[in-house]
Amino acid sequence: MAAPSKDKFVFVSNQEKDIEEYRQSLTYWEDAWRRLRQNKLSMVGLVTIILIIIFGFFGPMFTQVSYSDQQNDYKNLPPFFSLYKLEENVYSYISGDYNMFIIDGKGNLIEHLEEIETKAPLITFDFSKPLSPSETKKKNDEATSDTTKTYKYGDTEIVLDYTGRVDETLGWEYQITFGDVVANQIEKKALNRQFPFGTDGLGRDLLTRVMYGARISLIVAFVATIVNLLIGVTYGAISGFEGGTTDNIMMRIVDIINSIPLMIIVILIMVLIGNQGLWTIVITLGSVYWVGMARLVRGQILALKEQEFVLAATTLGVSRKNIIIRHLIPNALGPILVSMTMMIPSAVFTEAFLSFVGLGVSAPMASLGTLANSALSALLTYPYQLFFPALTIAIIILAFNFLGDGLRDALDPRLRKG
Amino acid sequence: MRNYFARRVVASILTILLISTITFFMMHSIPGGPFTRERPVPDAILASLNEKYHLDDPLFVQYLDYMKGLIKFDLGPSFSKVGVSVNQLIAEGFPTSAKIGGFAVLLIVSLGIPFGIISALRQNKPLDYITMIAATLGVTIPSFVVATLYIYFFAGKLRWVPTFGLHSWKAYIGPVLALCGYSLAFVTRLTRSSMLEVLRQDYIRTARANGIREFKVMAKHAIKNALIPVVTYVGPMIASILTGSFVVESIFALPGLGGYFVESITNRDYTTIMGVTAFYAAFYIIMVLLVDIAYAVIDPRIQFENGGN
Repeated sequence: MAAPSKDKFVFVSNQEKDIEEYRQSLTYWEDAWRRLRQNKLSMVGLVTIILIIIFGFFGPMFTQVSYSDQQNDYKNLPPFFSLYKLEENVYSYISGDYNMFIIDGKGNLIEHLEEIETKAPLITFDFSKPLSPSETKKKNDEATSDTTKTYKYGDTEIVLDYTGRVDETLGWEYQITFGDVVANQIEKKALNRQFPFGTDGLGRDLLTRVMYGARISLIVAFVATIVNLLIGVTYGAISGFEGGTTDNIMMRIVDIINSIPLMIIVILIMVLIGNQGLWTIVITLGSVYWVGMARLVRGQILALKEQEFVLAATTLGVSRKNIIIRHLIPNALGPILVSMTMMIPSAVFTEAFLSFVGLGVSAPMASLGTLANSALSALLTYPYQLFFPALTIAIIILAFNFLGDGLRDALDPRLRKG
Repeated sequence: MRNYFARRVVASILTILLISTITFFMMHSIPGGPFTRERPVPDAILASLNEKYHLDDPLFVQYLDYMKGLIKFDLGPSFSKVGVSVNQLIAEGFPTSAKIGGFAVLLIVSLGIPFGIISALRQNKPLDYITMIAATLGVTIPSFVVATLYIYFFAGKLRWVPTFGLHSWKAYIGPVLALCGYSLAFVTRLTRSSMLEVLRQDYIRTARANGIREFKVMAKHAIKNALIPVVTYVGPMIASILTGSFVVESIFALPGLGGYFVESITNRDYTTIMGVTAFYAAFYIIMVLLVDIAYAVIDPRIQFENGGN
């Protein structure tokens, strides 16, 4: 084999050899943040969470009505109007409970029309002799034949005929007679300008209520998670650090708590302390769901306490309390943070469930769960009342899940190179 | 190992007794008795009611009586439903809950695990993305929303299915779907990530290097190991699905145990609350115990000598 010729090599000059590559040293958290920023999905999650927090906490400042203001004239208004044309730029909308509204072409509410009570023709039944089936039918038809309502609009009257709601052969749902205008086809659809999310059965603005509900749900979730964190971290740290019999007893207690369906404990505590405002549900959620956190922290502490820096701290005479607080817990913060992010959506979930079965926050306060619950009774007529709270719950949970996934990837030391 | 299981069984029984004790004292510390009504019951009637249900005995005697009954699986009479015992309520309600819960569990296991495995084998391919998007949505949407939307579209608008009750096979679709949504999504995600983890292991590479057919590598080495964390989740999940269906049951108005439980809470029917809680807890604990036994069968690496931690 011939020796490689010299010209196949490029000699490095002395200067170049000495240049070392300088790289800014990154702390654990800087590195994690750098990773997190690269993960698009979790950044979307983070931004969404911030937006929802702004939506819930600052949104209500910009709406004209508060979450509990009731406007009886504006009950059950949808976010979309199906409009019947009366004249140029004057449209009429009929709500599911036969309230008529005058709306302009852009979707601004102008007026709620008063209904004029018309006397239905009196139908007399003679019960002394039995009616033949045909006679019964005739009487029934007479009794239900009045399918019109009259509304007062300025000095004139508007007559609404809703026969089409029952008789599908007519091809229209409502027929509106206004002077010589007869409208029975939907002219156009318009967004509700005044109440973008519509209103509920008591005439409360749903946008404000969803904002407020999101705020309550988030407060419950955050505070419950912090309570969880405090109990779980303290419990787990003590158990893991002390070891031996203490650890054994503490972990058996955790096993016992863990062997009951947690939802049942929550319900029992809620029954026991009764519904006394927001804090009962926060404390209940916080005092039950710490078990997982305690286990996680204990595992981390068990692994960490054998390491040299703990030995060094012990040798230097650092007290046991300070070893836990200053040396062990900060090193376990990554997994704790991940588990916390995952805990928030499950707290939102649980709170929504509890509110849904009637054990959550009580009126006039509203959370997303109670909003969904109160929409249930009129679901078939006003589906939008369920849609917005449910959508908000879904967005919150989705955002936290994305962020949590990203955080786990960012903080997981197994994925770290070098 | 037998020693370990004997210890676990004893611990489980003790846990059930402890839970019953706690619920007993919790229920008895709530102000207002089961016969407190808006319109007060005349004193004489109240006294005779209290006597009939032994509520005039000292608390400790009541406790002993209750525990004695519990050991004989007698949960006592219901306070709000006259002439019905809690045992009867459970016997009446649990089959309904178990039926929809059982179907939900079957659906979860038979869809979640295969989809998770396929998704892992086709990582970053369209099928994987579709499955994962569906699974993420499933984890996100609460079951009461699924249930109400289902009622709105299929029962209300399209009139394909009844809105309540369980009188035909069609009526099962909604409750089962609503019940399995979250867990189905979770099992799919769990199976996928666990499968991906296993596929990276050295023994899979060794098996492939030894020339074992790919199908056998998957079936015998990969899937079997990937299912271990899934089993851990599925056991308690079965228990919580069979017992935790009260929201779905109340939306679909099913005569299940969950419905009775919610009703007993509003009625302050203490014996029913205590009995159903004890029943739920016992069921849950037994399921967890079964999972641990299943563990020993699937994973011979697990050692039971050191307390099973």
